[in-house]
Amino acid sequence: MRFRAKIVDGACLNHFTRISNMIAKLAKTCTLRISPDKLNFILCDKLANGGVSMWCELEQENFFNEFQMEGVSAENNEIYLELTSENLSRALKTAQNARALKIKLTNKHFPCLTVSVELLSMSSSSRIVTHDIPIKVIPRKLWKDLQEPVVPDPDVSIYLPVLKTMKSVVEKMKNISNHLVIEANLDGELNLKIETELVCVTTHFKDLGNPPLASESTHQDRNVEHMAEVHIDIRKLLQFLAGQQVNPTKALCMHRICRSGKKTLLFRVETNETSKRM
Amino acid sequence: VVAMLKCVMSGSQVKVFGKAVQALSRISDELWLDPSKKGLALRCVNSSRSAYGCVLFSPVFFQHYQWSALVKMSENELDTTLNLKCKLGMKIKRTHNICFQESQPLQVIFDKNVCTNTLMIQPRLLADAIVLFTSSQEEVTLAVTPLNFCLKSSNEESMDLSNAVYSEMFVGSDEFDFFQIGMDTEITFCFKELKGILTFSEATHAPISIYFDFPGKPLALSIDDMLVEANFILATLADESSRASSPQSLCLSQKRKRSDLIKKKAGKNITGQALECISRKAAPRRLYPKETLTNISALENCGSPAMKRANGDVSEVSENSVSNTEEVPGSLCLRKFSCMFFGAVSSDQQEHFNHPFDSLARASDSEEDMNNVCRKKFNGSDAKYFCII
Repeated sequence: MRFRAKIVDGACLNHFTRISNMIAKLAKTCTLRISPDKLNFILCDKLANGGVSMWCELEQENFFNEFQMEGVSAENNEIYLELTSENLSRALKTAQNARALKIKLTNKHFPCLTVSVELLSMSSSSRIVTHDIPIKVIPRKLWKDLQEPVVPDPDVSIYLPVLKTMKSVVEKMKNISNHLVIEANLDGELNLKIETELVCVTTHFKDLGNPPLASESTHQDRNVEHMAEVHIDIRKLLQFLAGQQVNPTKALCMHRICRSGKKTLLFRVETNETSKRM
Repeated sequence: VVAMLKCVMSGSQVKVFGKAVQALSRISDELWLDPSKKGLALRCVNSSRSAYGCVLFSPVFFQHYQWSALVKMSENELDTTLNLKCKLGMKIKRTHNICFQESQPLQVIFDKNVCTNTLMIQPRLLADAIVLFTSSQEEVTLAVTPLNFCLKSSNEESMDLSNAVYSEMFVGSDEFDFFQIGMDTEITFCFKELKGILTFSEATHAPISIYFDFPGKPLALSIDDMLVEANFILATLADESSRASSPQSLCLSQKRKRSDLIKKKAGKNITGQALECISRKAAPRRLYPKETLTNISALENCGSPAMKRANGDVSEVSENSVSNTEEVPGSLCLRKFSCMFFGAVSSDQQEHFNHPFDSLARASDSEEDMNNVCRKKFNGSDAKYFCII
């Protein structure tokens, strides 16, 4: 297994750093999947507890100007690593104003992801900062649990309001209740509701727009104004919103009720170069 | 007899003074205050004697600095309070009364000029290096060659914890104000103390000088900006081999246990019990201008060369001395040495000097207070310095 990559563009480095910060806010450990064209950050909290599960995909050529990898084998040309998210974000934080950033897989006493930064300094010589981040290689037999989630056709899919606004509303609501109801319809309306014995607060967002539906047939007879609702733990939603440091070009939320009655809420955030689905 | 101290500082001076106290507080909870005509020295040492700090504020640092030794007081009850008065804007006065107690003197021997390796850096460089490490990092290693400098996570520590990130930063020698390396060296010392020193240095805007030798020998960090002179001595981790050859280094044991070899007895009334202090018996020299240092064990072993050197300074303050006994080197030097600070006499030796030891320094705001100050008698004990608890 081999991996080496290099970033020289400041904006790309910045973007990569912010993504790493977002991951660090969402979960303590994450999986990094390296394949010839992409880099994925995968978080797998137990969905049964209403945890956050995340799949984040980066097109490697949008970030790295050098990218070489050799997977476990020719047929399975991928690498799955587990690491402590904060270790990576902290290492990247020291790379502000870097001339170049190199990441590679190394084995110094134990397997590591080595982040090596060449920093600009006042003098002619550069400063070189190196961080060896311990990692665990994930064996092939566990790869099946880390595949890209299949996104089922949603019942309702809607573009979100500005995430910052949504975050500040949800933060205030957290003081009243832990339980939040999200309602959305195909008419561009989204409601955030909390309810206690004493008070009921609803925030209405209008004219949000809905993305085109994947399969028209299922929804043709649906009343466009019919609200689909899900109940979620407000803290988990905040966890997701707090991690959003990358200004998205598109953020949408999909709501799905499957036949078993189980509801899932899926947030999809797209930025210029990456696509993250949560 | 009493020594008196009164200092007045402006807001910006308080800031620097406060940062010094903060830096020293990372070494120890206890602080020694040594006023003299050279200025006010703040000193501390940690419980395992592996870190020492001293910040000397010259009289011109303060808006007003008043110090006098040996004012004759009348007998009275004990009053040991140090008054800190702050005058904030809007004419609000805040007074803090801090109790202190007499204590053993505190010095360390360290000869900066014979160190093989000397660096001078801007605090900014050190600050950039420090952010690499997390606050849980206990020790860092400094590795130098004649061409470059590297600060890195201590190898011993990162091997133990499989989840720890190992970090290092290489800096070229041209980033230093002064870079003189006599031999390739790698030394390991405590990170926590380094952070405190950095915060203080940023308040003074002066460069930091670092003096060091081989592993096991202490490392000194100095900051001197004309008004304030600070010195911090930190123990370094010794290799097995070097520990055998230089047993007298102020050093950490290899297992990173802060040395139990040093037993510290708190503050007052330490009589002739040996502090099994490991300290260097180098040629004593001045770490501060016009001051002589003795090592702690020399208090008990008065034959050390340090004591003889002390004679040179004694003459400067001999007019302040109240010592009545003469000529026994060592113990006499000891007493006279303490006299330099407080005009006090003491004895901690097997020899029986029965001179009552009267030493009290009290910050006083007015002349009237002086009359109420009392005298404390110590028989055969070593109270020489003050200790803020």
